[in-house]
Amino acid sequence: MPIKLTDIARLAQILERSGVDTIEIEEPGQSLKLVVDTGPRMAASPTPAAPAADHSVIAKADVAGHFLAAHPWRDKPFVAPGQHIQAGAIVGLVKIGLLYAPIVAPAAGTVDAVIAEPGATVGYGTPIVRIRPPSGSSPIN
Amino acid sequence: MIEILSVTGPASVQDLGRFDQYRFGIGTAGAMDDVALRAGNILLGNDENAAGIEIPMVPFRLRFDRDMAFALTGAGVEAEIDGRVIPPWWRSHARAGDLLDIKAMPRGARLYLTVGGGIDVPMVLGSRSTQFRGEFGGLHGRPLQPGDILPCTASAATIGELGVEPAEITLARPNTAADETIVRVVIAGEYDGFDAATQALFWSSSWKITPQSNRYGYRLQGPAVKPRVPIEKRSHGIVPGVIQIPPNGQPIIQMRDAQTSGGYPKIATVIRADLWRVGQARLGSKLRFEQTAYAEALAAEAEMSAYIERLRTIVRLIEEIRTCRSS
Repeated sequence: MPIKLTDIARLAQILERSGVDTIEIEEPGQSLKLVVDTGPRMAASPTPAAPAADHSVIAKADVAGHFLAAHPWRDKPFVAPGQHIQAGAIVGLVKIGLLYAPIVAPAAGTVDAVIAEPGATVGYGTPIVRIRPPSGSSPIN
Repeated sequence: MIEILSVTGPASVQDLGRFDQYRFGIGTAGAMDDVALRAGNILLGNDENAAGIEIPMVPFRLRFDRDMAFALTGAGVEAEIDGRVIPPWWRSHARAGDLLDIKAMPRGARLYLTVGGGIDVPMVLGSRSTQFRGEFGGLHGRPLQPGDILPCTASAATIGELGVEPAEITLARPNTAADETIVRVVIAGEYDGFDAATQALFWSSSWKITPQSNRYGYRLQGPAVKPRVPIEKRSHGIVPGVIQIPPNGQPIIQMRDAQTSGGYPKIATVIRADLWRVGQARLGSKLRFEQTAYAEALAAEAEMSAYIERLRTIVRLIEEIRTCRSS
């Protein structure tokens, strides 16, 4: 469904009221980025391409903010290399102001590497964790 | 509905409290950490006064009998829903039959479980809070037991997982040592009945929270703080947060299930903006009192309100964006 002009106007109003300075929406075939031009802008984060040759799946951020590998109340990060995880498991958080948005594993498997640096600014699609699916299963990336 | 499977200690249904009956001697009851209860309700899009379950001890297990959104706020706990780990200050979604397992409470003293729409026990005298002293409100006026079935208001919304920053982080106080909670207090009616050295002792001491501490009040242990001459007053109105000095010189902080009147001399009162910190202070840990003025107490309350307002705004923003995109 196309994003309508009235939607954009409404989103802009919401942004202005809430003091949030950037929003990005991506859907198949369309993307929208709104930046409120009042404060310092959030740096666009690089989105390196995921390695294509192997069968790994990548858990990606779906919102812009700061990557947290562990909850501030926890010493242990959500995941560590070698750990087996289920599809939908939380592998990290993106902190946006007071919000903590989850980054979830798109498929089950073994954690290969935590790619993102804790505290780094991440954006929509930034790779966070590489997951090796169980051998024999087909990747769902 | 929710079925309680196992419970340790006096868990109870609480909303923000019962505020219109105080003049009849009926205490407020209500969540010991009202900030956490509000945050849970905000995460779920509930009325902020919706009732949740206050859980002071673990393990605690329950089963959801239908699909339901829920949130955990307050104490930091190790918790799982259907085997999935739930981070602190988090909202999630249970499917019918899912088990919620609260296994450990490494931080804080009270966990709040809120559900989409709220726990639907009857309103009694304007509140759903359990009144332990009067044995009314909540579920049959008593702590929860295994086998209890809690009715829940139906909520239509399906929501994604989301967390918020715990109040303890956003509203962190400076110079707080591990295992010590600093709370701000204003001096109370009989403060001048204590000599300067005793007053100084009250401020400088680190007060241990004894096991005789609960929703009624916290009994503290430390050096004896006694007035110049014994003070005996007729019972008079008191409020949660009042710090009384009984004849043994060991302070008592009146909490949410306190009586509405008492006769012990009052040395100080915990400000409302810090009462939730007392509610999250663990048995055996230490409290220290920091003197503050009325204007500063109001400023602290404004800071607390600003945190709540930011939560409201940001969660509403997320929902509006979702609605905007799906309509």
